[in-house]
Amino acid sequence: MRSALSVILSSPVPDNKMSHPDYEQTAHDHATILILLKPLGAQIKQKTVTRICERIIKCGSRFSVIDSSNNTREILTRFIKDHPVENNDWGDFQTHRRLLGLITFGKYENQIELNELCRLHETLKVKYVQTLYDSRAILFGPIPSENLNEPPPSFTTPHNFKTVGIFYADDLCPNLEIQMSQCFNSLFWILESKRLERSREKIDKVALLQAPFEKKDFIGLDLESRNNRERCVGRATKHLGDLCLQAGLPGDALNNYNSAIGTLQSVNDWLWLGSAYEGLCAVSALILYPNMCRNVPLQRNSSLQEGSPGKQRRGSQPTTTLCAPPTIETIKMNMPNILLPEDICKKYREAIVHYTKYQNAGIIETEASFKATRISIEQNCTLQAASFLSNVLFNNMTMNEQEKIDRFTTLSDLYTSFGYLRKASFCLRHAALRHVSQYNPNLDWQQCYNLLLQATSGFKLSLDPVEMSFDNRKGWPSIQIQLINELVAAANRMGHPALATRHLTFLLQTMYNYLTPTERKDAALQLQAVSQQSEGSPVPLVLDSGRVIPPANLTNIPRTKSFALKNLQPHLQPQKIERVKEDHGPFLFTPINFGSLERKTTAKGKVDYLWVDGDICEVSMQLVNPLPFELHVSNMRLLTSGVVFEPIPESITLPAESGTIAVTLAGTPREVGELEILGFSTHTLGVKSNCRLRHIESMPHPLYTVEIVPALPRINVETSLPRTASFSSGENIVTSASISLYGGESAECTITITNISQVPIEMIEISVQSTLDSLTESKVFKWSNENLLTQLPLQPQSSACITLYMYAAMEFVASQRHDITNAYQSQSNSLISHSGPSSLPSRLSTSSHHTKRYSELTSSFRSGTSSNSSNSLSSTRLSKLAVPIHASNIVEGQLKIKFSGSAGLASGYCRISSVFITIEMLRSVQFTNWDVLPAETPTQFYLVLDVINMTNHEMELHYTQNKCIYMEGRESCRIPIPVDRCPFNKLSTIDGAGNNEDLQKICSEHIASLADLKWQLVGTETTGKATLSGLALTQDMLDLVRMSPLQWEVTINDVVFKAQDEITCNLGECINVGVGVSNALESPLRNLILSINLYQDHHNGVNNYRLDTRVSIAGANKVILPTLQESGRAYHECRVVFLTAGQYKIDIQCSSRESILDSLTFCSELGNSGHTWRYIPPIEIKVEDC
Amino acid sequence: MAVCIAVIGKDNSPKYIKCTDEANALQFHYKIHTSIDIVEEKLNIGNKTAADVRELFLGMLYSTEEYKIFGYATNTKIKFIIVLQSSNATLRDNEVRMMFRKLHIAYANAVSDPFYIPGDQIQSKIFNSAVMDIMGLLVDEKKILK
Repeated sequence: MRSALSVILSSPVPDNKMSHPDYEQTAHDHATILILLKPLGAQIKQKTVTRICERIIKCGSRFSVIDSSNNTREILTRFIKDHPVENNDWGDFQTHRRLLGLITFGKYENQIELNELCRLHETLKVKYVQTLYDSRAILFGPIPSENLNEPPPSFTTPHNFKTVGIFYADDLCPNLEIQMSQCFNSLFWILESKRLERSREKIDKVALLQAPFEKKDFIGLDLESRNNRERCVGRATKHLGDLCLQAGLPGDALNNYNSAIGTLQSVNDWLWLGSAYEGLCAVSALILYPNMCRNVPLQRNSSLQEGSPGKQRRGSQPTTTLCAPPTIETIKMNMPNILLPEDICKKYREAIVHYTKYQNAGIIETEASFKATRISIEQNCTLQAASFLSNVLFNNMTMNEQEKIDRFTTLSDLYTSFGYLRKASFCLRHAALRHVSQYNPNLDWQQCYNLLLQATSGFKLSLDPVEMSFDNRKGWPSIQIQLINELVAAANRMGHPALATRHLTFLLQTMYNYLTPTERKDAALQLQAVSQQSEGSPVPLVLDSGRVIPPANLTNIPRTKSFALKNLQPHLQPQKIERVKEDHGPFLFTPINFGSLERKTTAKGKVDYLWVDGDICEVSMQLVNPLPFELHVSNMRLLTSGVVFEPIPESITLPAESGTIAVTLAGTPREVGELEILGFSTHTLGVKSNCRLRHIESMPHPLYTVEIVPALPRINVETSLPRTASFSSGENIVTSASISLYGGESAECTITITNISQVPIEMIEISVQSTLDSLTESKVFKWSNENLLTQLPLQPQSSACITLYMYAAMEFVASQRHDITNAYQSQSNSLISHSGPSSLPSRLSTSSHHTKRYSELTSSFRSGTSSNSSNSLSSTRLSKLAVPIHASNIVEGQLKIKFSGSAGLASGYCRISSVFITIEMLRSVQFTNWDVLPAETPTQFYLVLDVINMTNHEMELHYTQNKCIYMEGRESCRIPIPVDRCPFNKLSTIDGAGNNEDLQKICSEHIASLADLKWQLVGTETTGKATLSGLALTQDMLDLVRMSPLQWEVTINDVVFKAQDEITCNLGECINVGVGVSNALESPLRNLILSINLYQDHHNGVNNYRLDTRVSIAGANKVILPTLQESGRAYHECRVVFLTAGQYKIDIQCSSRESILDSLTFCSELGNSGHTWRYIPPIEIKVEDC
Repeated sequence: MAVCIAVIGKDNSPKYIKCTDEANALQFHYKIHTSIDIVEEKLNIGNKTAADVRELFLGMLYSTEEYKIFGYATNTKIKFIIVLQSSNATLRDNEVRMMFRKLHIAYANAVSDPFYIPGDQIQSKIFNSAVMDIMGLLVDEKKILK
């Protein structure tokens, strides 16, 4: 669009350029009469002026006049508030630039003031004398005048006041409209007369009309040349066209312009040709778009701003005189010269091209561009409008900064009006920067800030961080960052640090991801500096203009890596008290999921644990300091909604560029219900921020919901025992206790429960949990529930005690399984009558070398093959007790204290605290081997035990009522314990299906119940009791342990023999030995062999059965009893004659050759021997010489 | 030659911008940003008039004394902007079209990357080198790539 010839034709020095551009002009203004509205003096109120102006504009902006030929003329006026007199200079070029009318307002109280007002009015008239046609002065005085146009009585106007005054006493101003229309009419008629005068001028006599800067271009030119004459005629015709247009004769104006164009084109008078084109366009636009003209041009800053042309939207604005624009066809018929709509802009373009050839016409060109733009907007040709506007930008005029600002704001307004928001913002931002450019003598940071703020929308920069979140942010980050930085600078310079703080915070919040690390650091440091003047806080800021700047929060500094609610510590977690389930009928499950939708929504961010009213609850966070300097974050609190919550402020210092640092935020809920955790607040870099989770990137939940249950008591638990150094983990454990007990020892532990909460404890339940089986468990731990219950309720700060009895239940019998196999092995090779396992002495000797106490000892007791199996032994024990082998025997148990009270109990919650109890069970005594021996009486037997003192102390072992033995540490010894034989009634529980194990069990239990071994470590109080449970008994042992199924009745010489009876007889005497056997069992015995054998006991372990030469027996000493019925009796007699003197013993025994008793079938491996029952003790006979 | 090439997303946010003169990058950001207004306008007009296959090349958006700015919009409303130096008068319309076509192909290849999430910034090296090639900056490097 720009001409390559630009500037060539203009003078280089623009001395009289039009310095006051009027960017608000529209094409319609070409047809208007220009009137200045001016308040005079300081007395008059702004409000009055505004009201009067409104009335004048309303009545005067468009009025009709009947002209001399009875045609109605539509006259337009334009009211302005200020008119630089220089603009009149261009009045010849375009007549609508001339000021034709003047209306002043003034208020006076006395004559002097009236005089002053009159003087001022006259001064103004003089100022515009060259163009002014008529003027009015509206004067408000203290008293009304009778005639409006006369001053009130006692006031006079000065003699040089030649103006029609309008005198009012108040601002109601009756008849103002009539007065004004008189004025307008007079203006019209003067204009009309001027027009007529011009039109009657001789065409060849017209003077040359000139634009202001042209004056010296024509110096020295031949004014009489034909070319120049043409020029004069062309310019005059164009001028006449202007006047016609103003006088309401668009048709004439069109003709004049057209002829002027023809003339001027021929003489290459481009400037005026341009103006002729512009005039043509103006007429056409006026006719085609009659509703486009401005309505209220003066009210730029009033509430009527919407109506001002700058804000015009696409399409014509609604006016009171709105009428449908006539169709082009009808107009074309009336006015054949009118331009078609598409031609208007073309001609404007041409006009602008012509203007560009003159540098001094820059303002004219710019104004023309704006006018063309407005028409393009009216025509909905936005691209065209944009091209006109971009032309304005290229116009390199030397302007002062204010003019540039005006140009940019006008551009911005126009761009906005057709929706080019980006370009509008671009221009606004430029305008803003002009306010503070270095060439601007009066810097105005406030204006700059305001314009920048207006520019934000075009850059899609919303100052609300919510709209700028990562997901829905728009726009160009780099540009937005620059704009925010400029906003910060402007806010700073205009002395509003709160705004600067806010914008910087916003920058760091929303643009964080787009800033380089250096920029982040700079912004953070700047923020720190600014916030020292005005601390940032998350409240909206309201500007003077009423604009609200929403709060911004530093969600990225420090950066939150994770945010997780913490469950209470295990022992403080509320547990539901289990209730007996109500009967819901047979239908436990329904496939119909009623609340399914509801459940899904609540599951979001809902934690599955509970917090307790009144207890401190925690949230753990991981923070990262992304900045390269130390960051101090203070006053961190949780943000919550829902129930009342008391957060506890937290402060933290994050080192520069730290890794993740864990922070725990805590607080106390004060109500029961749902608590929502929304985020947290911080105070860092001088800014208070509310960091809500939903505004923080990559947070899984926008909020967390946690249920608060009613207050529950808390307890402190102490034990009288020392704590355990370490224990395997377990829940709820609050304290621990450890104790070492020797096997069989008992101990007490006092557990003190103190209520450390504010609510009473109304319920306590104690239970023990351990890896032991329940039977052993109940032996090891004992306590009294009743005692505890009497101490309830437990008021705050009071304590309750409970005594826990612990007993070291232990296996005192070593490696029973080995003994069985061992015993079996040995028995198969040895004689029955051996009083004890032959290997014992050697074992005892090896045991003394051992220094280790525990299992190694027991395993090494076994020589040879047995040591192989010790591993399997220990592993079996391990699995039973679940303790490590080296620890010998450590029992771990948890004493669970379940307690509750007050509201928490009512709603069915309790807490569980556990005491971890470790009992180290040391070996006290151990029975390594045992055997049974017949006792002196048939109702008893001797249990012979090999006992080892496993302790390092001297031990006193009481093994019967009045017998005791002292043992050195680690010493072993053998003790006999008389035990009653197992009566049949105990065995009677074994019926037909009974087997060996049952028999074993019953017998060993029988022994355990009777044998009572008490030990005491000498010199200490430590005492204990060893039990013999678990003894393994062989078949032979069992025969001894059990009462014999045969009852013996022995008669010597027909006298019933009693035990301990001494029988003496003489050599050669015949003794009658009668043996009666009766079956005490409830089943018959078969194939019994009753034998009577005599032998001599040498008392050195050798029994001599070969007595052929010494004894002669008459009768069978062996009889076979095929069956012995239950409770049946058999009797056998024989006679014995002793041939030599001496001590003799009679061994009476009854043996079964095969399995005698179906019900007692066992020990198939011993089948060859079967059962043997002896008469115990053997009968002793002393044979004396005669 | 082209001094700046930009890819603008459906929502008018920048997806890729490359300038020869990184120091003045912001200036080009402004130029391209404001030219979106005109692109939008042209697209609007296009919608109104032609239902058939639209011309993707939008022609010159505007020109300044230094630069000419050309636009191109794909059917999915992805916009390509090329800023040319005004002084380069030899460049004809057809050549500009060719540049856009190349750019379009490079873009199509870049978004075919299965790991590219539509709407993200384009960070493809190959796309970058294609752009550099159009801008006449990357003759050697292209050879190396091949």
